[in-house]
Amino acid sequence: MAERTLISPAQLGRTRGKILYWTVLVLVVAGFTLAFLGPLYWMVANGLKSTEEFAQVPPTLVPDSLHTANYEAAWKVMDLAKLLFNTLYYALGALAFQLVLDVAAAYSLSRLRPVFGKAVLGMMLATLMIPATVLVVPQYLTVLDMPIIERNLLNTPWVIWLPSVTNAFSIFLLKRFFDSIPQEILDAAAIDGASALRILRSIVLPMSRPILGVVSIFAIVGVWKDFLWPMLTLPDPALQTLNVGIYSLSTGVPENHLIAALAMASAPTLVIFLIFQRNIMSGLTAGSLKG
Amino acid sequence: MRTNVRRNVAAALASALAVTALAACGTSSSGDDKPQASGSSTDAATPLDPKAKVTISIDCMPPAAKAAELKEWKEDVAEFNKTYPNVTIEGRSTPGQCLEPPRFTAMLKAKSQPDVFYAYFTDLQQVLDNDGAQDVSAYVTPASVPALGDIDKSVMDVLRRDGKLYGVPTSNYTMGLLVNRKLFQQAGLNPDNPPRTWEEVRAAAKKIAALGNGVAGFGEYSVENTGGWHYTATMYGLGGDIVGPDGKAAFNNATGRQIVDNLRAMRWEDDSMGKTQLLKWGDLQKQMASDKLGMFLAAPDDITYMVQQLGAKYENFGMGPIPGGAATLAGGNGYMFKKGSSPDQIKAAVAWLNFKTLTIGKGQFQYDRSKADGLPVGLPQPAFFTGAGKAKDDELKAASATMPVANFKPFLDNPVPGKPEPVKAQEVYKVLDKVMSGVLTNKDADPAQLLGEAEKSVNQVLGNQ
Amino acid sequence: MSAPTLPRDSRAEFVRAFKRNLTAHGFLIGAVLCFSFFSWYPMVREFLLAFQKTEGGATRWVGWDNFRYVFADPNVWQAWRNTLLFTGLALLLGFLVPFVVSLVLNEFRHAQGYLRLLVYLPVMMPPVASILLFKYFYDPGYGLFNRALEFLHLPAQDWLQSTDTAMLSVVIASTWMNMGGATLIYLAALQGVPGELYEAAELDGAGLLRKIWHVTIPQTKLILSLMLLMQLIATMQVFVEPFLLTGGAGPEGSTTTVVVLIYQYAFSFNQYGGAAALGLCLLVLLAGFSALYVRLSRDNEN
Repeated sequence: MAERTLISPAQLGRTRGKILYWTVLVLVVAGFTLAFLGPLYWMVANGLKSTEEFAQVPPTLVPDSLHTANYEAAWKVMDLAKLLFNTLYYALGALAFQLVLDVAAAYSLSRLRPVFGKAVLGMMLATLMIPATVLVVPQYLTVLDMPIIERNLLNTPWVIWLPSVTNAFSIFLLKRFFDSIPQEILDAAAIDGASALRILRSIVLPMSRPILGVVSIFAIVGVWKDFLWPMLTLPDPALQTLNVGIYSLSTGVPENHLIAALAMASAPTLVIFLIFQRNIMSGLTAGSLKG
Repeated sequence: MRTNVRRNVAAALASALAVTALAACGTSSSGDDKPQASGSSTDAATPLDPKAKVTISIDCMPPAAKAAELKEWKEDVAEFNKTYPNVTIEGRSTPGQCLEPPRFTAMLKAKSQPDVFYAYFTDLQQVLDNDGAQDVSAYVTPASVPALGDIDKSVMDVLRRDGKLYGVPTSNYTMGLLVNRKLFQQAGLNPDNPPRTWEEVRAAAKKIAALGNGVAGFGEYSVENTGGWHYTATMYGLGGDIVGPDGKAAFNNATGRQIVDNLRAMRWEDDSMGKTQLLKWGDLQKQMASDKLGMFLAAPDDITYMVQQLGAKYENFGMGPIPGGAATLAGGNGYMFKKGSSPDQIKAAVAWLNFKTLTIGKGQFQYDRSKADGLPVGLPQPAFFTGAGKAKDDELKAASATMPVANFKPFLDNPVPGKPEPVKAQEVYKVLDKVMSGVLTNKDADPAQLLGEAEKSVNQVLGNQ
Repeated sequence: MSAPTLPRDSRAEFVRAFKRNLTAHGFLIGAVLCFSFFSWYPMVREFLLAFQKTEGGATRWVGWDNFRYVFADPNVWQAWRNTLLFTGLALLLGFLVPFVVSLVLNEFRHAQGYLRLLVYLPVMMPPVASILLFKYFYDPGYGLFNRALEFLHLPAQDWLQSTDTAMLSVVIASTWMNMGGATLIYLAALQGVPGELYEAAELDGAGLLRKIWHVTIPQTKLILSLMLLMQLIATMQVFVEPFLLTGGAGPEGSTTTVVVLIYQYAFSFNQYGGAAALGLCLLVLLAGFSALYVRLSRDNEN
């Protein structure tokens, strides 16, 4: 409470100030609840309506009767369990690849300083200047027929995992964090004869938990939210992500089933978010703010 | 320093190999290494060697959601395997539509299609551009497909290019006017006599919309190329064309104008087309299945879709010929054979497709079984048999009909000649979407301007061959 | 083995340097390979594609033909106009709304945690789910928004179905989905504004707006301009919202954005050359903004 903000405490202390403060507060709380929880309520409620009731004009606010069967049907027809699993699988794989390869690269660039390291870093950072959507076309043509290894990565998890490593922003964040670790600590370990890998594992990584958390959240959220790339590269319905799966099935089911599916698809991350909200929110803002 | 660099390069290459090996081992080999049949014959005319072990992958197997069709598929595979125990059929299923254009294009580009792949008739050009299909002229003969003589020649011709056959049809359709019988009756209209001209459509739509409660009389698409598709269908019905014989846009004329004017009148003067626009395939079906829509242009199998996916009832729908009745958009789908398939694979695939989709009384035409499984029988689709084959098929169909076939009488009794889609259909449709969305969302849209701009764009598309 | 002429010391030095480099490159190689395959090579390919044409399996050089084709296409100009409109509206709403919200939230001594949580909720939803929800809300018949307007005795709107409001509707949905991140960042920035500055301003008799103008904005200027650029770069590339809300077209193509058009060129019409040419134009434009962003964030560091 010690922090001084825009409006002076003196002003807030007056009766008029207090009335105004509480009015605005109540209005904002009510407005925000309506704006942000309202749609979620609408989703759950309409997913419970019968087909007739859903199409009714004017619509009902509270379902007349609860059709939980909609949820069962949607779960089964849209195979949400598989879509959720696929998405989780891609997200965790992307996380693992990023944590291993990007951390190693950032550590190398920050501490081992190889020849051409600066040039490599420069070229990595240069990719930040290229709009991601522009690269989608050539990237797509590349994964269709990978140069040198001559493989088609379509419909394989590699097509999500490997490109996710090209996250120059994460490498940049990691490198900057590693730069800030005092050299003496590392020198001491090096004198003890520890290898670079050991130093990374037993000294650098434990110190880097906060930044690793940020990078991890970026990695998972990136896969979770992506739409265009997985739509193009995972055309097999059995391999689709949640976003793409819902999109491609949205025309084939009755409206109330679709809405039930939306509710179920949104639930897992909302729950995870409610549990870990502090870490997620502070992680994301910290990362972007420093960028 | 130089050795230093060279060693570094060597080390880099070593790790590079490690990573690529890692990537490679998990990649699908998408058809590069097919199980090569032993004792196979390369002669197309000889029947499949029963000793040759063949595996074919095929898409568009019914998904789990279509339980009855999946059951029949499995039964058919089992029965097929009695005759051909050496053939393994690997079905792949897709929930929803078997083919979504962007996904299909991606599949062709990636050459990741199964050995036998589902395609629309209009996809042939695209498939050939991507060198995706095998010429099967020598494999599809009266010997391998006994009913071949009874199949409509114009349908087979759609799958031919330069005299070479690239696929077999599994279904075909012509478009008509789909009506909701319940709403027709409520509005005091005769559902057994659907409107035959656009004036009648307009009048009927007005009466149906007057029922209120959010009911629309007539519905149209306007995005994702489906708007242009329906504009084309309407145009054909009125005797017009989209692309003329000179290869240029042919819709910016009195007929094209008439379509736009009529839609504008229904949408804005009569308010009989509902408020919700920018619809695409799937949206009108949902509206009609929930009794909120009286009529729309459709192929007969939309009825099956509404019944199976959206929980509607057959007796609720009827069909008439396309208004105007001059010609009707015809299309369909079939299977093509992936380029590079072995002769045995093609023979096995033709044998399977013959059994499943082209034999009267078997597979998809085994109506008594479909009836027992609660599947619809009686839809005028597929309709590629002619002559004696058609008579036999119609007889079997009538014997097991599960839906009031009389509801399709107006459609069947007034056959309209089918007409294929224009060249570069999808690109042309995309342009025509704008005409549809323009007239359906903008009260003050200028039809002349809409058509003029569309004509210019279509000519540009057609010029860029 | 030829005898090295190096003295012993420097040879040991050399071996050490060599080993260090070996390890260093070993650590680096995985990421470098990924960048080569999925970033650098595609980048080069984008340039090549823009000047090539592939027909019937054969690729040939066509010079500026793809660019000529693209700029002769009336859809391209419309797409640029639409994209600029989206960007303008998105900056107006997507930039201003989170800032105002964070200003208000920052004053609250109660319920701040709850409100922050609410604002951030949509960010965690699968984007496709949010967009489909808005599609229902925008429906002119049974949609929630027109119901609400009716309840308030306001005239019903056509939302996505009118060339006048389609893009605005897309922006509203997009803002709802994405404002959480920006709001939290501004809140963090506002907490860094020293309270004394407000006190000093009050002594000068400054009112609320003047305090915001003379204290808050200058104090958060760097973050604000960074966010502005970031949103500019992101909104110029908008794809998912128009693609899903309006089928990538909207009434008379009024919501077709540049990236939607790139997608259609490439994946609907098989014109990779046109897609690449158009992409290159977008790239050149956005690279300018990106360079500015990099410079500003370097200032932020110092």
